[in-house]
Amino acid sequence: MTFDEAQGYAVLATLAAPLLAMLLLIFVPGANKMAARYVSLFFAAVMLGLSIYIFTAYQVSGPSFAAGEGLQMQLRWDWLENIGIFGKHGISLYLGVDGISATMALLTGIVAFAGTLAAWKLDYRTKDFFILFWMLVGGVYGTFFSLDLFFFFFFYELAVVPLYLLIGVWGSTRKEYGAMKLTLMLVAGSVLMWIAIFAVFREAGAQTFDMPTLWAAGRDGTLSPTFQKTFFPFFVVGCGVLAALWPFHTWSPDGHMAAPTSVSMVHAGVLMKLGAFGIIRLGIQMLPIGAEFWMPSLLVLGTVGALYGATAALTQRDFKLVSGYSSVSHMGYVLMGLATMNSIGVTGAVLQMFSHGVMTALVFLMIGALYDQAHTRDMKDFGGINKVMPLWVVFYALAGLANVGLPGLSGFTAEFHIFVGTFRTYPLFGGIAIFAAALAAAYMLRMFSMVFWGPFNPRWSTLKDLRPVEAIAAGLLLGAILFMGLWWAPFTDRIGATVILLPGVTG
Amino acid sequence: MITEQAWLLAAVPAGMFVVLAIFGRFLPRQGDYLGVAAIGTSFVLMLIVAANFLQHRGGVGPWRNDFEWSNVGDFRLRMGIFIDPITIVMFGVVTTVSLMVNIFSIGYMKGEPRYYWFFAVLQLFAASMLMLVMADNLLLLYISWELVGVCSFLLIGFYWEKRSATEAAKKAFITTRIGDVGLLIGIILLWREAGTFNIEKIIEFAQNGGYSQAYLFVAMFSIFLGAMGKSAQVPFHVWLPDAMEGPTPVSALIHAATMVVAGVYLVARLTPLFEVADGMMLVIVIVGLTTALLSGFMALAQTDIKKVLAYSTVGQLGFMFVALGAGEPQIAMFHLMTHAFLKSLLFLGSGSVIHATHHNQELDKLGGLWKKMPITGTTFLIGSLALAGLPPLDAFWSKDEIFVGLADAWGAWAVIILGLAAVTTAFYATRLFIRTFMGKPLDDHVYEHTHESGFAMTFPLIVLAALAVVSGLVIFNGVGQALGFPGGITEFIYLPEEGPARYAIDWGFATASLGMAVVGIFSGAWLYWRGSLEKSTALARFQPGVYDMLRNKFYFDEMYQYAVDRVVLGLSFVVSWFDRYVVNDTGVDGSAQVTGYTGFILKYLQTGKVPNYAMAIALGVVGLAVAGLVVRG
Repeated sequence: MTFDEAQGYAVLATLAAPLLAMLLLIFVPGANKMAARYVSLFFAAVMLGLSIYIFTAYQVSGPSFAAGEGLQMQLRWDWLENIGIFGKHGISLYLGVDGISATMALLTGIVAFAGTLAAWKLDYRTKDFFILFWMLVGGVYGTFFSLDLFFFFFFYELAVVPLYLLIGVWGSTRKEYGAMKLTLMLVAGSVLMWIAIFAVFREAGAQTFDMPTLWAAGRDGTLSPTFQKTFFPFFVVGCGVLAALWPFHTWSPDGHMAAPTSVSMVHAGVLMKLGAFGIIRLGIQMLPIGAEFWMPSLLVLGTVGALYGATAALTQRDFKLVSGYSSVSHMGYVLMGLATMNSIGVTGAVLQMFSHGVMTALVFLMIGALYDQAHTRDMKDFGGINKVMPLWVVFYALAGLANVGLPGLSGFTAEFHIFVGTFRTYPLFGGIAIFAAALAAAYMLRMFSMVFWGPFNPRWSTLKDLRPVEAIAAGLLLGAILFMGLWWAPFTDRIGATVILLPGVTG
Repeated sequence: MITEQAWLLAAVPAGMFVVLAIFGRFLPRQGDYLGVAAIGTSFVLMLIVAANFLQHRGGVGPWRNDFEWSNVGDFRLRMGIFIDPITIVMFGVVTTVSLMVNIFSIGYMKGEPRYYWFFAVLQLFAASMLMLVMADNLLLLYISWELVGVCSFLLIGFYWEKRSATEAAKKAFITTRIGDVGLLIGIILLWREAGTFNIEKIIEFAQNGGYSQAYLFVAMFSIFLGAMGKSAQVPFHVWLPDAMEGPTPVSALIHAATMVVAGVYLVARLTPLFEVADGMMLVIVIVGLTTALLSGFMALAQTDIKKVLAYSTVGQLGFMFVALGAGEPQIAMFHLMTHAFLKSLLFLGSGSVIHATHHNQELDKLGGLWKKMPITGTTFLIGSLALAGLPPLDAFWSKDEIFVGLADAWGAWAVIILGLAAVTTAFYATRLFIRTFMGKPLDDHVYEHTHESGFAMTFPLIVLAALAVVSGLVIFNGVGQALGFPGGITEFIYLPEEGPARYAIDWGFATASLGMAVVGIFSGAWLYWRGSLEKSTALARFQPGVYDMLRNKFYFDEMYQYAVDRVVLGLSFVVSWFDRYVVNDTGVDGSAQVTGYTGFILKYLQTGKVPNYAMAIALGVVGLAVAGLVVRG
């Protein structure tokens, strides 16, 4: 067994941990809520540790980088081989990471751990909640790690399905509507992807779902230009629904509004990134000629999303709607970054996936901490909350300023790379994007001055500041925000090394 | 070489920010001594760095110290510091004023809530500004620039319980942020062609004709928008008077050393680029002249001490921009320095008054404070006369140089406009002093409780007053020689790309600018002497339209409010409505309803009755048979 393969078992363990947690929780008696929480916390800690390992152990140069063409820690277990339509490596559980998925794994570890703590006080069917929660996280990890198209899709769906129950059962505000809309839109996207996946399988003629093989087929023209141009939109729209691609974004504000705190965190923090990740894996890597043809259109949609989300967020009154529209705006930046097809922009997009993940998770954690006590999310009802919840305000304000793109926090790192990348290829769109970032300052500061500051509304004198579990979760997320904001080389090294290997990505 | 370690100047207060922000609340006296100690350390380091720099001048330097920060493909970022005379002057101004403001705050902020937090943010403020002036690349400069902005946001909104304070903080941040959009665009545009953020390399690239004319103009204009926003130039000036909502020491800091001068520094630093970009110098000089003149008039009719001073700052920044537009960055920097001392003196002096009169800052309730507050009164008088431009106080020399430079570069028309602005300056400075300290007290209750401030507050006033008296003299060759920079300050501050030029006092201009100061002072004194408001109110009655226009600051705020309410928020409502009713309810829910309705219709086909199905089968068979026959022919 090579070292790389041994590391592959670490990847496998990361993927297995949430699924194992699920299995174990099934045997925990439902009445024993503390047991369910501690089992979850244990596995969350394991996942966090393994994710940090994967991120740090990923080599950006040297023989191990060259050997796998950026892919490392590979592990392959063949499942269906040389049977029927399947040839060598027909369908296999093929795991591995590159700089992008290593970063995403780190994000998932952090957000899942924080999400577990956020759900600590959840009292209604705790055990069932965590079973579904870990199913979701398992799906997310699986998608990031899979190098086999079949399992990629399998895990992608595994992540989407539990959302329906998590929102429908544990949610609030119009939860049935939000859950149903979200699920139907995401499944509709999946249908498009599924069609395109089979088309690729058939057209490549390699009798395998092995992704590196299919990527090679896309690069060398085995998948003809016409084919690529035809099916690229299937992947982009299919994945784009999950990445809040305008105009397929409306599930996002409603879904966030309905979802319980920790689900919002994982959903906005990680799940939306699956969509953008899918665009990289299936769009850019598998159909590079299609990508080259369609990327300008994606750029326009991303720009519209960035401006549109920021503008709509200006006058919202519900916290979660502000964050929902802000997410549309920030995911618009991700799509813009991808659409630039140069290494700076695409790196910026991946940085933004991480940055938006941690800062939005923190925002939703804070909203949840307030909503649990206040039972309203109408910003007009608040004022001067800084008086009773100073720690809460500090965390929320820093997450908000990261949203605004303040230097020293992760948002700036990501947006800066996206702006530079966009300017390199499309200066006009770069200018528009920077303008949208100024709107972010307007909607965030509007919220600050309505809620945190101003005359204190005595109605809220009973509010308590963050509980220790929430403070730990928030501290972890804030640590990630500061880390990326103050010293971003560890991220850009890993992401950049991978991104320059992507087909069609220039300089 | 100690100068290469100049980053310590910023690192010390930045570290203290972290300490005070986290542990400050647990410290005895809430840690104000730590704040003073940190900025004091920076001050001492500044002296060492400056001495070291002056010692080695002519041989080595500017000093550089940089390292690789991150890279993505060929996108390599380096971070580093760059010390040249402009940086040294800024170091001096920032650390001196910050130290004085920190000491003053011990007295002024005593007993305020969140005392430790105030000192913590002061540290970060100074640290970001120091970082800004030593950044060797535009990226680090932008990062510090934004941090300066957020610090001022935090300090303006320090009294967050007051709605007006949070609104002012928001306004300051968003207004400057709009300028920053331009700045970031400009920075990236410069990078796009030159492939680097390093300031020296960009300048070299531009001077070798790397940019096309139109391209460079667009880039520099965008950058200039950022400078206008930060330095509160018309039409971005609206945030600065509102920023008075912050505690008064903060105003002193913002107006003199940290926030608003960043724009002047930026333009001075990039002057070689502005010179290459055809037409930009004219833009700068016009913006500077407009600002100087308009703000001079706006200051005439304000009745709040701090608002008068705020418009005065706007105007003096206009003077600095005029100097920049005349292609004389060294004079702009000189004026920046002299103005920093006198304006921080005036603000701290007004702080002393406000503190002594229990937070009264309306001129209508002040007057006659001279006897009660001799130290504050004397130092305030020095500051006012310096602002008015009376020799040998500091601003006389720098203003005079601005006129000389302006006449050289743009001719008589510009000099006349700026001269008018200089007269208004002297006028409102006199008015402010007389109405605060001279005449009879207008409100006996306020007057009775007034007392001179404590040593922590008077000490900075005395130091700054002394600086306001002597700091202008550094323009002379002799003084410069004694201090280690032969040729005087203007020769010391030249940009590395330009040759040095020694300035001599032009007696014609000196007489003229003395004349302007005297005209302003005498007309002010004639109107307001002995606290009688008869003449001035008569003037207001004589021209009520003009007076209202000035009092309402040319209605800039009203226009912006209208634009924000109607245009921006209106657009937001339209987008929200569109999203809800068109995209969501019609598009998304609509497609769901169509699907549902189709199902509703189709379900009638599934009756569950055998005869219906048999009928369908029979019809199907017949249909197929007919179709088959038709196809066969």
